[in-house]
Amino acid sequence: MIVIRQLCRAFSEGAGVHRVLDKADASIHKGEVVAVVGRSGSGKSTLLNIVSGIDRADSGEVAIGSRIVTSMREPERTLFRRAQLGFVYQFFNLIPTLDVEENVRLALELNGMRGAAARRRSASILAEVGLGDRLHSSVDRLSGGEQQRVAIARALAHEPAVLLADEPTGNLDEETASQVLHALLSSSRARGATLIIVTHDAWLARSADRILELRDGKLVAREAPPAQKSSEAQHTRRTGFS
Amino acid sequence: MPGPAPTLWAASLRHFLRQPAQLALALVALAAGVATIVAVNIATASSRRALELSLRAVNGPATQVITGGPQGLDEAFYVRLFTLAPLSSEPQPEYAPVVSGYVTVRNRVMQLIGVDPFANSALEGPSDAMTAGAFGDATLAQLRRWLLEPGAVVMAAGAARQLGLRVGEPLTVDIGGVKQRATLIGLMNAAQAGDATLMLTDIAQAQEWLGLSGHLTRIDVRMPRGPAGRAALAELRRGLPAGAQLDPAAGQVQQTLDMTQAFSTNLTAMSLLALLVSALLIYGAISFTVIQRRRNIAVLRAIGATRREILTIVLTEAAALGVAGAGLGVLLGLAVGHGLVRLVSQTVNDLYYVVAVQQVALPAGTVITALAAGLGTALVASLLPALEAAGAAPQLGLRRSVLEGRATLVAGRLSWLSLAFALAAGGLIAVSHRSVFAGFTALFLLLLSVAALTPSVLRALARLASRALSGISSVGRLALEDVAASLSRTGVAVAALGMAIAAMIGVSIMVESFRVSLRHWLTDTMRADIYVAAPGPGVGRPERRIEPGVLGALLATPGVADHSASRSVVVRSSHGDIALDALLLAPGSYAGVDVTAGDPRTVWTAYAHGALLLSDSLAWRLRLRPGARLSLITASGPREFPIAAIYHEYGSGLGSAMMSLEVYRRLWRDDSITAVGLYLAPGIDAAGEIPRLQAAAGGRQALLIRSNADIRAMSLDIFDRTFIITRVLYWLAGGIAAIGLVSALLAWELDRKRDLSVLRALGLTPRGAATLVLAQTVFMGAAALLAAIPAGLIIAVVLTKVVDRRAFGWHIEMHLHGTQFLHALALTLAAALLAGLYPAWRAAVGPIAAEMREE
Repeated sequence: MIVIRQLCRAFSEGAGVHRVLDKADASIHKGEVVAVVGRSGSGKSTLLNIVSGIDRADSGEVAIGSRIVTSMREPERTLFRRAQLGFVYQFFNLIPTLDVEENVRLALELNGMRGAAARRRSASILAEVGLGDRLHSSVDRLSGGEQQRVAIARALAHEPAVLLADEPTGNLDEETASQVLHALLSSSRARGATLIIVTHDAWLARSADRILELRDGKLVAREAPPAQKSSEAQHTRRTGFS
Repeated sequence: MPGPAPTLWAASLRHFLRQPAQLALALVALAAGVATIVAVNIATASSRRALELSLRAVNGPATQVITGGPQGLDEAFYVRLFTLAPLSSEPQPEYAPVVSGYVTVRNRVMQLIGVDPFANSALEGPSDAMTAGAFGDATLAQLRRWLLEPGAVVMAAGAARQLGLRVGEPLTVDIGGVKQRATLIGLMNAAQAGDATLMLTDIAQAQEWLGLSGHLTRIDVRMPRGPAGRAALAELRRGLPAGAQLDPAAGQVQQTLDMTQAFSTNLTAMSLLALLVSALLIYGAISFTVIQRRRNIAVLRAIGATRREILTIVLTEAAALGVAGAGLGVLLGLAVGHGLVRLVSQTVNDLYYVVAVQQVALPAGTVITALAAGLGTALVASLLPALEAAGAAPQLGLRRSVLEGRATLVAGRLSWLSLAFALAAGGLIAVSHRSVFAGFTALFLLLLSVAALTPSVLRALARLASRALSGISSVGRLALEDVAASLSRTGVAVAALGMAIAAMIGVSIMVESFRVSLRHWLTDTMRADIYVAAPGPGVGRPERRIEPGVLGALLATPGVADHSASRSVVVRSSHGDIALDALLLAPGSYAGVDVTAGDPRTVWTAYAHGALLLSDSLAWRLRLRPGARLSLITASGPREFPIAAIYHEYGSGLGSAMMSLEVYRRLWRDDSITAVGLYLAPGIDAAGEIPRLQAAAGGRQALLIRSNADIRAMSLDIFDRTFIITRVLYWLAGGIAAIGLVSALLAWELDRKRDLSVLRALGLTPRGAATLVLAQTVFMGAAALLAAIPAGLIIAVVLTKVVDRRAFGWHIEMHLHGTQFLHALALTLAAALLAGLYPAWRAAVGPIAAEMREE
């Protein structure tokens, strides 16, 4: 379970201060898929950065399971992040000097899995996202959708408890976005991972179990999305991907 | 704890392989810096090694050496030595008489050693080679030839081969311009490298050739160990005749090498400058690799790579770069070192001691030092970017604007650091009075000050120029704003270039000022119309003397109205060996001595009565002033001489003392003359007189007879030769900086190719895009030059007024000349244009659509 309590974060803007998070509160259950929506600059990515421990809150607390992320020192946060969290970004952020399999293996090696075991594991998860035949391709040669699936494989390879996705389909066309969303949802649900998706795409948000809107620095619940099953059915209908 | 993940290493390696040009430039910059150190070390070590080998070959296993003044020791003393020791069963000291001097055989300088084979066999000195291997299986017939055949000489087989000589062949030996006929009667197998520069002959023959009849250059002594040796040594010391000195043989090398300390320090400082420039460039290169990968590093940090892992990766990259660059540098340095050996040994011969470098020495320590310097430089230079990369928050939102904002902030702080460096340099100069090391440290602080200031200057100038272009050219304004806003890419390279240019301007002004001062001094000092000197290697060598008969003929030549004469020797003083010029001044010559301290009304009277005049270099080195006294070892023993004045002189960095020739002759019992200055009668032309003087020498001695103008030109040639190494080194530093600029601009170009493509898409022509890039690079060069000019002037002041003064005691007047700035301008423009060519070409022909698509 992820608990966000009274989270505050402000940035100085010239002479003034812009409060992007202002006593934000939320609770997210284990295995739940939550979409965080809001207008541009509302602080969605900042929230994700603080939850993951790559940015510091001015005040407040983020707890993931029994661990208080906001109280951890930097090295501890890094080790926690590498073991418990997975990331998917809008611009994929793959390492261009590594091939497809190596990008995924990197996350495993950082968690201590080396050699043949890591190779087998990365190949297996890449096959799961439909890239079993592209293991040694250069990531530069992949399409946007394929790159994002590599990113999903990398995020899930080490079986994290929490998956954080920042506009995962923001850079993709509708059809590819559907494929990627399916891969993301099915893979994370299959592992029982908690998934937080930051997006301003209403259709993507509706795929989540719950939607939180970041408004004036606070997290507020929006109307419940249509049932997950119907969402997936809709996806299958639109793309034929199953 | 396991190290970084294998895939992290793979990513790191592939990043470098993807940017081969940048990798190559960084390697070349570091290699050039290391190569300079290696080359300078090889050159100075080779001369040093040659001197050591030569002294070791000459001295053999001698424990002590007895020497006399310029005229050597009376050979009767050698006979008397055997009466000093009482007859006993204790081991006795062994003595070997030696007569030596420098000669020239077929343009090769060799040391002529006259030995007594019977005496020397006991000591196993140079004649040991002869007795043991010179003739192979020496026969009585060969020994007879050695003793009885006039001009019989022996040399190492290798030396004979290089000279194209065979046993039994005659050869001409040039001694102070006098040609002597000799015959190579045997070859010795060079037991050690120094033997290759030796030519052995019988001691009586050497005495005749070197004009030392009845005298010995020295007596080598081998004292037994233990109490018997100590007692014998004390006895020997008591029995020494007046004017003779007993010194440990081992001390000779160090004493001679000490003379070149300031010269070696200068060379080392220049090589360190090259390394300092390359350090900045390594910093630049590593910074760029970090900047280029900032997004990747952020991703790695986000997915869990620790700071330590990132730090390890970046530092390992730097270490690998350092090892590879240093390895290449050592190889390059070996090649350059071979070339520098000739320049350095030439300078050493011109100014200090005679040395014939036969082998290039590579001290083991040099390779280790160079590798350590390369590795250390790379690690130190990369530490900041590595810490920056590891310490940065792993946010992908770290955009270029944030990075440049940081760079601007750092540039501002560096301006303050620049001020602190400059103040520290000033303070150091103020508190240290004589330390050359402190002078050089102040220089390096000033160079760092320039480097620290340059990014701010670049930014300020770009902003100013951009404002000036407001409303005139939006593209021009954009280009300049881009320069101002890209300090993280360009700042370090421009700083390195600024530092190299400042050093170049400073050194260039110093050299030119020195040259002009020397020219003025030569014009003031050289009053005679024609100068005649005995040729030969080395300064103050006693064998360089004009034959008395030839001298008489010269002075009697029609057209010669008056003359001055000099005897240049090295004498022993209470402060070690010093150069002494004993002068007979013609009435017109007195005005040529520029007295800088002392009472000008009484100085010449005191001089005539035996007082010394010291050159400013010697006075500075020995810390003596007018009124003080200096003890010299004359032929009749130590004698105190009052110092009447200090005079201006640029003859050598060690300086010399001046004394009346008449006093010298009386006290040193040496009637030889090294050189004369001839004053011609009115209406007599020097060019016409020289053939008459040559005719007067009548083939008896090949003298150097030169007009006043020729000898001034020759002196300036020697000066220029002396500073060739300095010029080579500062061009090298400049070249390294230019490479750095190329490297930086390549990185910058990679980073902004999308921006340039957008401009192209908006309608900027290919030529316009290329011009824009070239204008930016030239502007950066101009900014570096502007920062460097005032700094270069300050550096020139420090070099002339602090470093040269402290190292050599010279007073050099500053002389500014357009050439000094033209060289700097040429380097700057060349570096900037060279650096801009490829990016400009890329900007002009790059695929617009593809580059705009790239994220």
